[in-house]
Formats: sequence, structure tokens, C-alpha cells
Amino acid sequence: MATPLRKMFDRISGFASSWGRKTAPRGRRIFHRDVEQEEFQYSSTRCLSSYYSVFVARLAIMVMLAILIGLLTILTWHFTRVYTTKSLNTLAYGLRYELLQRPILRMWNILNSTSEITTAQVKLSEYVIRRYSKPTNQAEQVELYQMMKDITWALFASRKALNAITINYKNGFVQAFHRDHRSNNTFYIYSDLANYSISSSESYGNKMLESQQGWNDQFIRGNVSAIWYREPLDPVTGEKIGKAMQIPPDDLINIAGPSQVPDGVASWHVAVSKFTDSPLLSAALPVWDASNTSIVAVVGVTTALYSVGQLMKELVEVHSGYIYLTSQEGYLLATSTNAPLLNNTAKGPKLMMAVNSEDRVIRMGAQWLQNAYGNNLPPGHVVHVEKANLGGQHFYIDSFFLNLKRLPMVGVIIIPRKYIMGKVDERALKTLVILISASVCILVIGCVCILILTNGVSKEMKLRAELISHLDARRRAEASSNYKSQFLANMSHELRTPMAAVIGLLDILICDDCLTNEQYAMVTQIRKCSTALLRLLNNILDLSKVESGKLVLEESEFDLGRELEGLVDMFSVQCINHNVETVLDLSDDIPKLVRGDSARVVQVFANLISNSIKFTTSGHIILRGWCENPNVSSDSVKFSPDHKKPLYALRAKLKNHGNHMKKASKRDNKMILWFEVDDTGCGIDPSKWESVFESFEQADPSTTRTHGGTGLGLCIVRTLVNKMGGEIKVVRKNGPGTLMRLFLLLSTPPDGTEQHGQMEFAKHSVAVILALHGSMGRLIMSRWLSRNGVPTLEASEWNELTQILHELFHARTRNSGFETHYSLGEPLRSKVHSIQDMRNPVYIIVVDLGLLDLSTDIWKEQLNFLDKFSGQVKFAWMLNHDTSNSIKMELRRKGHILMVNKPLYKAKMLHILEAVLKERYGELHKRSPNGTKGAPKEGDSHECLEIDSTQFETCSSDDSDISEIGGSGTDSVSSAHTGDQPRVLTVKSGASNCQTLKNCLVELTNLDSEVDNLRADEDQCNGRPKGNDSEISNSPEQTSISSSTKEREKSFTSKAANGQKSLEGLRILLAEDTPVLQRVATIMLEKMGATVIAVGDGLQAVDALNCVLGEEEDRPQTEICDSPPYDLILMDCQMPKMDGYEATKAIRKSEEATGWHIPIVALTAHAMSSDEAKCLEVGMDAYLTKPIDYKLMVSTILSLTKTSSP
Amino acid sequence: MALAALKTQLKNFVQSMFDEGVLDSQFSQIQALQDASNPNFVEEVITLFCNDAERIITELNKYLGYQNVDFGKLDSYVHQLKGSSSSIGAHRLKLACVNLRQASDDRSKDGCLRALNSITREYCLLCSKFQTLIQLERNIIALERNH
Repeated sequence: MATPLRKMFDRISGFASSWGRKTAPRGRRIFHRDVEQEEFQYSSTRCLSSYYSVFVARLAIMVMLAILIGLLTILTWHFTRVYTTKSLNTLAYGLRYELLQRPILRMWNILNSTSEITTAQVKLSEYVIRRYSKPTNQAEQVELYQMMKDITWALFASRKALNAITINYKNGFVQAFHRDHRSNNTFYIYSDLANYSISSSESYGNKMLESQQGWNDQFIRGNVSAIWYREPLDPVTGEKIGKAMQIPPDDLINIAGPSQVPDGVASWHVAVSKFTDSPLLSAALPVWDASNTSIVAVVGVTTALYSVGQLMKELVEVHSGYIYLTSQEGYLLATSTNAPLLNNTAKGPKLMMAVNSEDRVIRMGAQWLQNAYGNNLPPGHVVHVEKANLGGQHFYIDSFFLNLKRLPMVGVIIIPRKYIMGKVDERALKTLVILISASVCILVIGCVCILILTNGVSKEMKLRAELISHLDARRRAEASSNYKSQFLANMSHELRTPMAAVIGLLDILICDDCLTNEQYAMVTQIRKCSTALLRLLNNILDLSKVESGKLVLEESEFDLGRELEGLVDMFSVQCINHNVETVLDLSDDIPKLVRGDSARVVQVFANLISNSIKFTTSGHIILRGWCENPNVSSDSVKFSPDHKKPLYALRAKLKNHGNHMKKASKRDNKMILWFEVDDTGCGIDPSKWESVFESFEQADPSTTRTHGGTGLGLCIVRTLVNKMGGEIKVVRKNGPGTLMRLFLLLSTPPDGTEQHGQMEFAKHSVAVILALHGSMGRLIMSRWLSRNGVPTLEASEWNELTQILHELFHARTRNSGFETHYSLGEPLRSKVHSIQDMRNPVYIIVVDLGLLDLSTDIWKEQLNFLDKFSGQVKFAWMLNHDTSNSIKMELRRKGHILMVNKPLYKAKMLHILEAVLKERYGELHKRSPNGTKGAPKEGDSHECLEIDSTQFETCSSDDSDISEIGGSGTDSVSSAHTGDQPRVLTVKSGASNCQTLKNCLVELTNLDSEVDNLRADEDQCNGRPKGNDSEISNSPEQTSISSSTKEREKSFTSKAANGQKSLEGLRILLAEDTPVLQRVATIMLEKMGATVIAVGDGLQAVDALNCVLGEEEDRPQTEICDSPPYDLILMDCQMPKMDGYEATKAIRKSEEATGWHIPIVALTAHAMSSDEAKCLEVGMDAYLTKPIDYKLMVSTILSLTKTSSP
Repeated sequence: MALAALKTQLKNFVQSMFDEGVLDSQFSQIQALQDASNPNFVEEVITLFCNDAERIITELNKYLGYQNVDFGKLDSYVHQLKGSSSSIGAHRLKLACVNLRQASDDRSKDGCLRALNSITREYCLLCSKFQTLIQLERNIIALERNH
């Protein structure tokens, strides 16, 4: 019992521990990000094992229950049964004892009575015989015998149970009374008196004394000849009722003779008589004479044991079972059955042994006893056997020993077990059956309960397992997604390098002068395609960077309006071919300067606008922008309800961010800038409004065929917008097209909030006539102008313009004849009149060049017509990007110097107005071809215009065309050095990873000779004159916008000629551990005229610097600030002993004392923007990737050295 | 004439290396740096590179021979080799280095050993080619001197 219990315990504890093991690592795993494949398998096997453990647990609990119930059952059964059996056994024992005791008592009684009778008979006989001792004569003798007969009868009659009383006298005379119980007759038996004489008897007696044995034998034989008589008697009175019959001696009854009392004491024995079927108990006692010396007679009393048997039968009838008495030898004395006790043999009946009894049970019981004990009965013959199997039945066998002197007897009682224990056994069986069935029921119910109970647990386990597998799956998915992002990032990096090479090579090829025109066209085409491919790669990289969380937004101030204007400028070029109007509509409250990632903001709008352009074939694209300060709640009033909703959501979000956010917004002055990109394209199905922002998702699959694209643009937009704390969605609009609305959360610098000085145009009494093609742009512009108090007139075509002009001026000159010809609309006319009412107004006519009929020569006449008004009005011309030079020249020739490229927007209009007003109020009216220096203001104003444009050009192509910009940047830098005086060097570090200085923009001075040289070079190498160049030649004081595009394509030859020694005089410290790279970089730099000091690691770099510094400190104070020991440090990032980051930190620290800032350029093979961020963080100024790009390195170095020492 | 032929041969040889992808544009930059002021530049750089690379490969072999590979150390060596090979324009060697780095990042010793094998292979190939190249360069220089 103990072993299986222990096993069970072991199993349970094992299960518990396995449970514990299982749960503990799971919790850990949840937070464990890096998951290996093995772990997945591991956990899945775990999962399986948990099923097993549930199964085992159930089994264990069930087995336990079964054992418990089984034990309970067995115990119950055992106790009930054992106690019952025991008590019953005790009772049964008592009963058995009692049962046996009674026949024995009866026996004892019989024996007692027999002995009493015998004793009494003996005493009486003695008395009588003494009285008649020495009978002298026959008569006396007869009297004696008669007396004896009477006495004996009295005794005999008093005892009904007696079988016989015999008196055997010494002389051989026999007197006997005999009672036959069967026939209920009583007889008197006597021998013939005549044969016996007293004398002979006397002598015989003497003789007998001498040898008793001899007497006895003699006596018996002597009696053979004796004649015995039997006379029946009345059993009650003893009267003689019949005649005496002669019977053979000894035939009827046993006559106790002297032989039975050999030693003169009483003796007992069991006798058998012919007439009874039961054994007889006979007792014999001698009768002594008066002198107590000789035996005069022997008295024998015989009692039938029949009554004992009777009693036994009665007892058995009540109690069932079998009782028998045997002598010590085993002869049956009495039984409770009717089986004969005697064996009839030839010699007469004999006692029967118990083992030979005819009664089966008794026989078997006796045999069993004999088998069990043989002749070696236990002392006292006391046996108690409870379970003796006799013939297939169980019996109790008990024997008792009755130790009578001379007649020891054994009583045996056999009781069928059924009688006593039958009910008990039966009950026990029933109880057992009931218990077993009950326990089975309980077991079954228990098992079911366990199943039900554990079912919940196992369900939970299953759910958990499922959850685990789901978690695993999710983690796997995340991991694979991570891998994907990683892969994309790596791949796009790997791909960008060859792409950069391809584009660079194409640039070289384009500059090659031996290309035919066709080849040139093809190469240009290839370059465009490469650029497009690179753009796609950049998109993917952006996306993967955002997805992998590596995108870090810059925080820098930028002019939002200017960026957007540049963007619109750029896209308007594309739109013109599409007959789509691009309009920028920014409200006046938009802050000029905001903080944020300009590149990303521009990218957002570039993507949105290019998307719109792609799907818009005609109409307009409007980029609207307005501002909302989240701190001023009243602002929201002016928004329409559907504006409010996101605003409230945003506010809630802001509130949730709590104090930190509030503080931040207080400090940074966060603003919500709303933008809309509105187009009149094909529109997006409302069901796709959400999904278009998913990656690789397009509103209509067919668009890929018709419009191309990958569907990444909007996804990038949304991720970027979200990253900037904004939201974007598609909004329902009236009319065709799409309206995308987004807001950005940008902070404005504390000082940048004040609005740039708005000119008070109203007081200058300016009037503007907008003669523009695009109705939307015109409308928006005129609205804006009139909001600012400038009355406007609009004309959409040439005729309208002429009408207005006529109305305005001819009416004023009172030449009313024209009026009949030109009929203006009533509202327009009223406007015209209101303008006419103005006092001394300045008329500005913004004329779209497209209004002129350029296809024929009519435009010249139209110009001449307009010229007539040139005295009264100022013309500002809106040029197309492809406006031919001849037209520009013509315009210039006629004195129209105000020219701006399309589209017209606020800033441009402002500049036009300012220019005109300055000209009007300005001191200088004369204009000389080289008059920049003489007329700084005018020049500035013009230049301002153009600078803006230049900036726009470069900025706009900013993100979508990185490599191009990079190329242009470098080229322009190097071209800056072809010129002697670089005037402004603007370095913009964009967020895009590889190109640090992608926006190196150099504005050339407007020195005629230089520009001419340049142009000459270009013309020479390209072999095709560009329209813009003539513009430069015509107005050399203005550096053309488009010249920068030309500069991009500047030939290598000119650069090689001029840029060779571009680093002349620079001292550069190179810290690079790789010898090869060290050597290569050294040669590269030296080739450009720089002095290079190369060191092997960061520590040496710091030492090299400190050593020089130390030297310097020895010098007088005044010289310290003279110049730093090195102009620039090129620092490898990964070096032994001290890496680039540490070295930079150390250098920057040591610099603190001197106030220098030696530019440090990082060299690294890691090309992610996070590395760049790290470089910049430790105090480096720029960032170059390995392998070193010659051009990029030069441009970087130049930009840094020039800005630091202008 | 012989000089021109040699130069053509050199050019073709280098071009073949470009075509095979053994070298990339960086090498042409290095070639461009060679001029009269330092006529042995290419040879010098190649010799430097070979010495450096051999040293690093020996180190790498040593580190990978250990029972417990110090992947950080391994990584820095591979980084060096990658830097120098990319500087000289040994494109395929660089790629092999990238593989080794990847394997090192994965902490896979087997992968590292495989990648190192490929590095060694690439290096041997590159080295033999460089020998030829140096020989050609020398011939050219010798001829130029004679002129």
C-alpha cells in the first residue's frame, strides 16, 4: 500500500513541479524579445507536454479517489463484519456450550440417579441380608428373597427411568426387575430357587474369596443349568399379572454379577441389551455382609441412555445442529438423531463407533475430528472449531469432555454455520455488494466531477497554450517583420551604393563632350530612370526605417512658407504640361519659422502633391494651410464642425499627456498647423479612404497600369505625419477630386512667433490687375489682396485685360469712345470705378505670359500695346519655366524687369509689390546694366526674388531627388571655387542618411566675367544653349535661378582644371586605423593641396592636438586665438584604443579653453542616420561614409572650412 | 608602343576585375590618385592592404580557433578588414566581410568559419590578381622611366 501511494505522490509532485517549471519561463518569455527558433520548438513541445500533464493529473486524481473509496468500502465492510462475527461468535459459543452442557447435565443426572438408586438398593440389601443372615431354612431363605423382591420393587417403581435392577446373590440366585420401555411392560425375573442351597452358597462364597475370577467364571457356567423365570408385572402395583415364563438365563438383561465389581467398588459400564436399541448405562455395586468382609450380593442398576438422546433431539429441534456423546473410546452413547446407536452383529447388538454412525453429519464430524486430531486429542478433549468443512458445508464443531470415573465421556456438538452465521454471512455479502456498488457509483460520479472540474482547468490550459502559441506566432511575425525591415534597410543601403555609382557615372558621361545628341538624350533618360529608381529605394528605406523605429526626426528651425513655396514651384513645372494649376494658399497667420524636420515636412507635401498631380489631368491642385494655436481655445470657433472633432480629440490627447506636455507646449509654443491638399482629379472611393494609407495600397489596382507608382507614398506620408504628432485623412469634398486634410503639431521658436512685417499696402494706394490664366490661383490671390486692402481686378484672357486697361485709362483720359466697344461686366466696372476713385494709385498688372499669343508673332504687338501703359502701370510678368529667351530678351529690352516664374503666390506677390513700391518711392529710378552696387536696394529686391527661387528649386527637389541634389551640391560647391568670391555658403544638413550636405547651395556673385566664363564653359561642353543663359547675359546683375540647374551639369573638365587644388593650404588631421584607407585618404587630400597629418587611432589624434595646443599655450596669449592647429579633422569612428566618438568628445573638451571649433568630420562605414545622429551628438560637424567619395569629401571639407573661416 | 600595349593590358586587366566584381569603382579612384608625384601609389596601397589583410585574416583564424569565440573582438577585426577592403575597392572581399559580420552578429561559429573561408578564398584570388597588377604597374613605370 505504501509503495503505490509513494508513487502516486511522486507523480503528483512531479506534475506540480513540471507545472511550476512551465509557468515560470512563460512569464519570462513574454518580455523576452529576441526569440530564437529553438525556443519556439521548445515551447511547442512544452505545449504538448502540458496536455499530457493535464491527462496525468486527471488520472492521478481519479486513481486517488478510487483508492480512497475502495479503502473506505473495505474498512466499513471489515468493521461491520468483524464485529458482527465476533459478537456472534461469542454468542454462538455460549449457545453451543449451553447446548452441550444440557445433555451432559442430563447425563450427569442420569448417572447420579442411577448411582443413588444403586446405593440405596445396596444399603437396603445389606440391611435385609443382615437381618436374614444365616438363614437356616428354606423358608427363611424364601422370606429373605421375598423381602428383597419387595424392596427392590419399591425402588424400581420409584424410578421410572430405570431399565432394570438386578440382584445377584452369592449363591447364584438372581432377582431382577426389568422394564421394557418399548412395550411398556415390566417383568420380574428370577432364577429357580431350588437349585441353590445356602450351604453350598456359603462354601462357594469362601471359595470365591480365594479366587474371585475363578468364581465368576464358574458362576456363569454354573448358572447355565439354572432355570430362569420371567413374570410380567403390573407396572404400577407390581402385582403379578401373568404366568411366569421360563427364559434362558441372561437372555433378557444384563445381570450384574460379581465380575463387574472385581475390587469391590462401584463400577460403571455401558451395556447393550437385546431389547433396546439404545445403549444402557449400568452400574454395579457389591453388597457386603455385616462384617464387611465378603460380598454377599451384587446389585446392578441399568438405565437407558435413551432419555439423553431424547433431550438432545429436543434441543436440536429448537436449535438445529447435531449433538452426540461418545465414550472416550469413541463409542456413540447418544445422538440427537434417530440413527441407530447399535450395531447388530451376529453376536447381538454392539456399540457403534461415532465414525461409523449412520448419520452423515455425525460421521463426517467424527471423521473430521479424527483427521484433525487423530488420537491425540487436546487435553481435556476440548475442541472449538468454527469452520469445519463437512461435505461442502461449514459447521461449528465443539467438544467437551466429561470426566467420569470409569466412564469418561466426550460430547460433541456440530452446528451448521449457516444457522448462526447464515444471516450474518448473507448480510455481509449483501453489505459487500451494496458497498461495492455504492463505491463504484461514487467513483464514477467522482470521476465525472473531476472531469468536469478539470475540464475548466484543461480548457484554461488549452487557452493558455493557444495564447502562448499565438504569442509565439506574433513574436515570430514581429521578428520576421523586423528581419524584413532590417533586410530592407540593409538592402536599400546596398542598392543605393551602386545606384549612386550609376548616377555618378551617368553624370560623368553627360559631361563628356563626345556624345552625340541621341546618346545624350539616352543617357539623360537613363539618368532620370536611375533617379526614379533611387527615389523608390529611398521610399522603401524611409518606410523600413519608420517601421523599424529608426527614423529620428530632426528638430531645427526652418521657414515653412518658403519650403512650401519651393515645393509648389517645383510641381508647377510638372503641372504646366498637364494643364493643371498649382496653387499655394497659406493663411497669413502661419508662423514664418517653425521647428521641425523640414525635409520630412517637405516630403509629406511632396508626396501628397505628386500624388495629386498623378491623378489630376485638368483643374487645379491647391495646397491650403492655416494655423491654429492649441493654447487659444477661441481659435477653434472659426473652424467648421468637422474641424472641431479632430481638434477636440487632439486636445484630449494633449491633456492626457499631462504636465510634461503642457510645459513643453508652453516652452516651445506648439502649434497645430492644418493643411489641405485639394485636387480635381479622379478622386478616391470613400471605402478606400482609410486603406489608401496602407503600404502598397492603391485606390484602384488599375492605377498602377495607368499611372505607375508603388503605393508607398501615402503610407510614408501617414507614418511621417503621425510621427510629427498629426493626423491625415481623406475628407469629403464638393465636386470631383480628393481632399486630403492633415494637421501637424509643430513648435515655433519663441522669437519666431511675431509676424514678419506686413506692408501696409492699403495706404500706398496700390491697385493690382491680375491677368492670369489659372482661375483658382487668381481668385485666391485676389482674395488675399483685397483682404489686405489692395483692390484687384481680374482678367483671365487677353481681351479682358485690354478691356480693363481701356476702362481704366481711357476712361480716365476721357476717351469715352472706347467704352462702346468694350463692355465690361457690371461688377467689374464698379470695381474699376472704385479703383479710379483712388488718389494717385499705383497700378500693377501681373500678366501671365501665357496670355500673350506666343504661337505667332502677335505677342510683340501685344507687348507694344501694353507698352503704351508702361508709364502708368507697372508690369510684372509671370513666366513659364520654358519661356524662350527671345521673349525674355524682348521683355527686358522693353524695360519689364519684374519677372517671376509661375505660379504666383503670396510671397512672390509681396515681393512684386515691394519692388514696385520701392521703385516708386525709392530714390533711384535710373537703372544701369551693372548697377547692382550703385542701386543696392533695387538689386536686393530683385535678387531677393531670385534667391528665393533658387532656394526653392534646390529645396523642392530636396528629398525626392537626393542624389541629384548631392551631385548638384558638390558641383555647385566646386563651381563656387571657380569663382573667386563665394558670397554665401549655405549648408543644410538634411535628415537623409547618406548625404550630409545635400543642400550645399552656393550662390555665385554676379560678376559678369565669371558668369560669362561659366556660361562659355557650359555652352562648350553641352553644345546646346539654354534660354536662361541669355537671361543672365541680358541682366548680368541677376544670377539666374536656372543657372543653378546648369551648374549641376557642369563639366568635369572645368572642375578638374579648377578644383584640383581646392584644399590648398588646409591642414588636416586624419585619424584612421586602417592603413589602406589612411593612405588613400592622405593621397586624396594631398592631391588637393591639403597638408595631411595621419594618426593611427583616436588617442593619437587627441595627443596630436593637445601637443600642438600645449605648444600654443606656451606662446603669448594673443597668439592663441590666432588659428587652430588644424583646419579640419577627419575622424574614423571605429578605431582601437579610443574610438572616434570618444576622441571627438575629448577634443571638444580640450577646445573649450581655447574657444576654437575645429571641424570634425566622421568617417564611418555605418550608414544609418542613427549613426549620423550619434556622430553629431558627440560634437562632430559632418559625416562621411566609407568608401570615401572624392567629391563629397571635398565639398564637405570646403563647406566646413569656409564657414568656419569666412 | 610597348608602353601603350602594357597600359592597354593593364586597363583590360583592371576592367576584367571590375567585370568579375572583384573590384569596384573605388579602385579606379585610387588609380586616379596615382600620378607623377607618387608613381608607386597603387602598388603601395595594394602592399599595405595585403599586409593588413593578411594580418587580420591570421587574427581572425586565431580567434575562431578558440573554444569560446570572442565575437566582439572578431567583429572589430572584420570591421577593419571591411573598411580597408572597401577603401581599396575589393568588392567581393567586402561582401565576404559583411557575411562574416552577419554570422558574428548571429553568434554562429559555423557561419563565421564558412564566411572566413570565403574571405580567405576571396583574398587569395584578389592577392594573385593584385600581384599581376603590380607586375604590370612596375613594367609600366620602368618603361616610363626609360622614356
